[in-house]
Amino acid sequence: MIRGTLTLITFISTVFFPWPLTAVLALATSVFEPLIPLAIGLFADTLYYTPQAGILPIFTIYGAIITVVAFFVRSRLSESIINK
Amino acid sequence: MKKTFLAKRNAIFSLANISWGAFALAIAIFLLFLRLLAPNLFWKIFTPVFRSSDALGEASHAIFVSFGDTAKLTIQNEKLADENAMLVNENQALIQKVKSISGLSTNSRGIIAGVVASPPESPYDTLVLSAGSNDGVALGMEAFAIPNDGQGDGGVPLGVVSAVFADFSRVTLFSAPDVTVNGWVGKKNLPAQAGLPLIIKGTGGGTMSASIARSANIAVGDTVFAPGPGMLPIGKIVRIDNDPLSTSVILRIMPTLNLFSIAWVVVRDTGISQP
Repeated sequence: MIRGTLTLITFISTVFFPWPLTAVLALATSVFEPLIPLAIGLFADTLYYTPQAGILPIFTIYGAIITVVAFFVRSRLSESIINK
Repeated sequence: MKKTFLAKRNAIFSLANISWGAFALAIAIFLLFLRLLAPNLFWKIFTPVFRSSDALGEASHAIFVSFGDTAKLTIQNEKLADENAMLVNENQALIQKVKSISGLSTNSRGIIAGVVASPPESPYDTLVLSAGSNDGVALGMEAFAIPNDGQGDGGVPLGVVSAVFADFSRVTLFSAPDVTVNGWVGKKNLPAQAGLPLIIKGTGGGTMSASIARSANIAVGDTVFAPGPGMLPIGKIVRIDNDPLSTSVILRIMPTLNLFSIAWVVVRDTGISQP
């Protein structure tokens, strides 16, 4: 339930709140759901990307980076727990 | 009848097996394709969302700005209060300064007034001054010629204020007919106790006279004094009328100053009565 609520709030924050709050929420949600930063980045670029502002979809790239990092951290934590 | 087929299909498509992240990613990808493939529909869906977002942003911005303005206004208010207190102090200092300056001209030194008209422009034995009730001149105050060097601080007694208007006043000189003033006669350098008291009468035309006992041995050139702050020289004896049948002599007194050439006088209250 917490995962769903955090995901929903993060999506809403993308539209209604300043981006730093959205980034913090995405980071917090990535602890439970690693794909959320990528989804939020993609959603943000879907809403706000304009070719005149820049070539690269910055939000998606940052979200992908955070997702990769989150998966890496989760995998390391899982391995350490298994090894125990 | 077995229902294993349905159970298997539910297991494959069960939402419980899909994480929230994957679901969110699927939604995001769907919206991305919607924007790319059907941009009109996409913006039609999201335009109300953006409008409500803008409204929320404006409202929250107004709230935060109001807080920011409050802090700014508080600082500005404190600054203005400090400036106000400083200006009040400065104003008080200026008021004190004005009072001290006014005190110099009205208290110890009297009211300085210019002579607007003197004989022969004015009636004989009167002066018209440029200071009146607005400047503090009152009926019965005494006018003095501004003292020169060697005449002491009191000046030369001239007369008494006999009429006061708002901006002008009239001084009747001691030389005016029927005006009397108590005084002394004696040598100029003598102490006050050494002077002989006499009643000085105005005889008109800027001259005065007094009667004194023959035995007083008064000589021409002696000084006649009038009360003021101490003994103030009012004139000099220019002639002594000596009647052999009388026990007294008449002293003819000329004012110390030329009454026609006085430009400034000092008016102050000495308690002398109105002429």
